[in-house]
Amino acid sequence: MLPTGIHFESYAAETRVLKTLRSRIWASALALGLLCAPLFAGAYLLGVASEMFITLMAVYGLYVTVGMAGQINIAQSAFVGIGAFAAAKLSSYGQPVFVVIPLAALAAGCVSILFALPAVRVKGLYLALTTLAAQAMFPIVIYALPASWLGGLAGMPVEPLTLFGADLGTPTGFYYFTLALVALLTISAFRLQHSRFGRAMMAVRDNDIAAEVMGIPVMRVKLMAFFVGSLFAGVAGACLAYFLQFVTAASFTLFASVWYLGMLIVGGLHSRLGPILGVVFITVLQEGLHKVANTLMQAGSGSGGMLFALTSIILGGCILLALIFEPRGLAHRWAVLRNAFQIWPFPRN
Amino acid sequence: MIKLIQILIEGSLVGLVYGLVAISFVVIYRASRIVNLAQGEVLVFGALFLWTFTLGLKAVGWEVPLVVSLALTLAACIGFGLVLERFVFRPLISQPAFAIFMASVALLIVLRGTAQLIWTAETRAFPAILPEGAFRLGPFLISTPLLIGGLFSLLLALCLHAFFTRTRYGLRLAAVAEDHRTAMSLGVSVRGAIATAWILGTVVATAAAIVLLSGRVVSIEVAHIGFKALPVALLGGLESIRGAPLAGVLIGIGEALAMAYLDPLTNGAASGVLPYAVMIAVLLVRPQGLFGWKRIERL
Repeated sequence: MLPTGIHFESYAAETRVLKTLRSRIWASALALGLLCAPLFAGAYLLGVASEMFITLMAVYGLYVTVGMAGQINIAQSAFVGIGAFAAAKLSSYGQPVFVVIPLAALAAGCVSILFALPAVRVKGLYLALTTLAAQAMFPIVIYALPASWLGGLAGMPVEPLTLFGADLGTPTGFYYFTLALVALLTISAFRLQHSRFGRAMMAVRDNDIAAEVMGIPVMRVKLMAFFVGSLFAGVAGACLAYFLQFVTAASFTLFASVWYLGMLIVGGLHSRLGPILGVVFITVLQEGLHKVANTLMQAGSGSGGMLFALTSIILGGCILLALIFEPRGLAHRWAVLRNAFQIWPFPRN
Repeated sequence: MIKLIQILIEGSLVGLVYGLVAISFVVIYRASRIVNLAQGEVLVFGALFLWTFTLGLKAVGWEVPLVVSLALTLAACIGFGLVLERFVFRPLISQPAFAIFMASVALLIVLRGTAQLIWTAETRAFPAILPEGAFRLGPFLISTPLLIGGLFSLLLALCLHAFFTRTRYGLRLAAVAEDHRTAMSLGVSVRGAIATAWILGTVVATAAAIVLLSGRVVSIEVAHIGFKALPVALLGGLESIRGAPLAGVLIGIGEALAMAYLDPLTNGAASGVLPYAVMIAVLLVRPQGLFGWKRIERL
């Protein structure tokens, strides 16, 4: 809802993401804060932030496939893995980063098309099972390929990130690199809603038969939804490869996929803000848990296994609570709060 | 030739065990339209309950007869199923399939964490409930526990099939599997159906755990059997209980053949990928599986 006195005279103004002066000021403040963060944040915090940005890229991909097009995908982590392995392989040939990232994204996108093909015939649950098959097959295939191709069981080292001769392997350098990429992807994810393709996806999500009748090529839109969602995953995978400087199939599990989907659900499935809120919320929660567990372990009680167990229970619990009590996620809570602020002092209905 | 027949026998017996796990998927789906991805974890919970009431009690000095520990396990399973129904799936009645599916995924994580918190991640010996060993039939070697398990799985499939298609209550459950909201408006208790589904599901999963693990070791890793049984359930048709053992035999034989003849060529990947490749092929060619209900959509 907009504050009183704001009205638009053109469609372009209507579709703008930041509609009011106040929202523009807030967004610039956020951008400034993110840009200045390395001045006062340590290497640890910058690392956490970079990892959060990478996760956010993958969750944006899910937002496109699941949130906008309504196609369930629980193999996002496998697609991130394909991007990571593609990036590792390409960088080992000495390709520069601006070649590696688009190609990694493309690789993930093309593989996802392969698994999206059943979406032509089935939907909902059955589609989820197809993507589950993709997730289950991913490590088996990577381990079985000759070790000289993708590293096999041992995994593959990745060259550190350099851009035009400058070393971006430092925490600050990598922070700015992921920040720039995530800003780019945020803009594309936010703008997608108003594009022809985005509106077609939402029509398919809401009622695919009606969409077909209106002349939307439903099959093509479904396949494209997977393709575009996996492009995001591929970029995230390439960044993750540069970040860890090592890739192994063991880090792209079903659990990671469920984490991504959980973040999207907690944040809000159908809202553009959902991915951001979900990723920030879950990351903060996770880091907080790590802190608590570390203090516990230093005090001599508890163990690493307990930390894993507790993280699982709390994350799973968050998803369950979100599904049962707030299916629209944190984004809905945020919208309610913002409305109350904007129409104050009038009571909110 | 003898080697081939031996492979076929072993494959079909192992496949019947997959079929047993697949039945536990199907009873839940058939009574409540929930595909429970956490079924592997439910199986592990059943196995751990049984461990607690046999070897676990023995370790603290309370030795109880096997019948009593089986009864205790059964009671624990029923309680566990009811807890899942009350706190997870009852609030989600008539929600879209996506929400219910995601709830089962979230349940998977929660159960895995809970199992680790209560029983820790270590592997432990599982009591030998079924007789050990193997016997010779002509030139072939047949494992006794697998044979008993296979026969049990066939018998269970027939009984459950009769329950779901011949009894009044079983047919009501089919209405719930069709659509929660419609079933409610027809006066069928959806809560009751979901509770039944979970009790049946946990009990069948525990039976599968006994067949699968008897005399071996149990740890949280055993839950992977759930993902192996999912393609079986899908191939048989998610609504068809009789289809599950048949699909299990098909996939078991396929896996055994792939293991014997294709794995040396593909570095061991063929048998692992096969069930999932079958799953994708089934979804592409015949999404409802061999005996499932075909849903037709018209304007």
